[in-house]
Amino acid sequence: MIQLKTLLNCIDNSGASVVECVNVLKKKRAATIGDRIVVVVQKQRAAGSEGSGTALANKVRRGDIRHAVIVRVKKELQRVDGTVVRFGDNACVLVNKSGDPIGTRMTGVVGQELRDKQWSKILSLAPVNV
Amino acid sequence: MAALPTMRQLGCLRALLKTQEAVQPQIGRRFISTIYSQRPERVPLPPNLPKQFLSQLPVRMQPENGPKPVKVYPPPPSARNACKDPVGSVTDSQMTVLDPKGDRKALFDYRRNTRSVKPGDIVRVTFKNGDPFNGVVLSIKLRGIDTSVLLRNELTRVGVEMSVKIFNPNIQSVEIVQRAMRKPRRARLFYMRSRKHDRRSVENVVAAYIRQKRAFLGGNKR
Repeated sequence: MIQLKTLLNCIDNSGASVVECVNVLKKKRAATIGDRIVVVVQKQRAAGSEGSGTALANKVRRGDIRHAVIVRVKKELQRVDGTVVRFGDNACVLVNKSGDPIGTRMTGVVGQELRDKQWSKILSLAPVNV
Repeated sequence: MAALPTMRQLGCLRALLKTQEAVQPQIGRRFISTIYSQRPERVPLPPNLPKQFLSQLPVRMQPENGPKPVKVYPPPPSARNACKDPVGSVTDSQMTVLDPKGDRKALFDYRRNTRSVKPGDIVRVTFKNGDPFNGVVLSIKLRGIDTSVLLRNELTRVGVEMSVKIFNPNIQSVEIVQRAMRKPRRARLFYMRSRKHDRRSVENVVAAYIRQKRAFLGGNKR
């Protein structure tokens, strides 16, 4: 249940670590996995410590307004076959206006609901999906 | 503020006059219609009234215009008699389709079967589309055909919980990877969500189990 002011972890290497939801797109209710939201970057990753091999400059800075796609939610989600999935945190990845991920790498598990909502690009970047 | 009587002495007379005016019309308001009178009882027609007099009666009192007998229909057949336990019969019919041998039911019936899955065990559920889910059993909900099991695991340092319906036709197999070390004193281990009691990742336990199993099965084949 992601809504205005919800803080989410950002799990890609775009440079943001914690972002805040400021709007849910194409929906009048709380957002869930696979939904697109507008976020403000609240905390950015330290540039030196994260890039061990590649000294990649942060693509986003604190205070930037970006679009993001939710990949994990704490609120339990029921699938069509009756299984219910719940994650330990709320997480998202940043995307640009056309829907391509800004980061090139992702850390962490993502929900399989992304497949139904045509976010296969994000799904292929993720190391694990549940 | 009413004027004090010492200032305007005749002022108190006005108040006296007012009360009289207000009371009097209420006493006079009494009509004939308010007097109660009992409704006169209806005089029944004489039983053996000759036919030629019937035409003199008003239309509504003539015998063919009198109250007709109300038609009473028999009640519809009772659904309860047709099927004594509808929920049970649906569950049974579903069970014969989804679990004809009763293995899956026995595997999770922890109240009766001592060898069943129990809370605290590590279980591996493989789905028909190929991807498995491993986890510690936090609770088993015995609800007939809706029986489900709640599994918890940690993937990439994020807690993941999945509640799986065990008679789901999408499930290929359910395996017990490891029994609980010690019998837990609870039926529902929701305390394992807290940081202190969390079992964390069970992936290495499951990986060891799979390696062992593969070695065992491979030995058999040769």
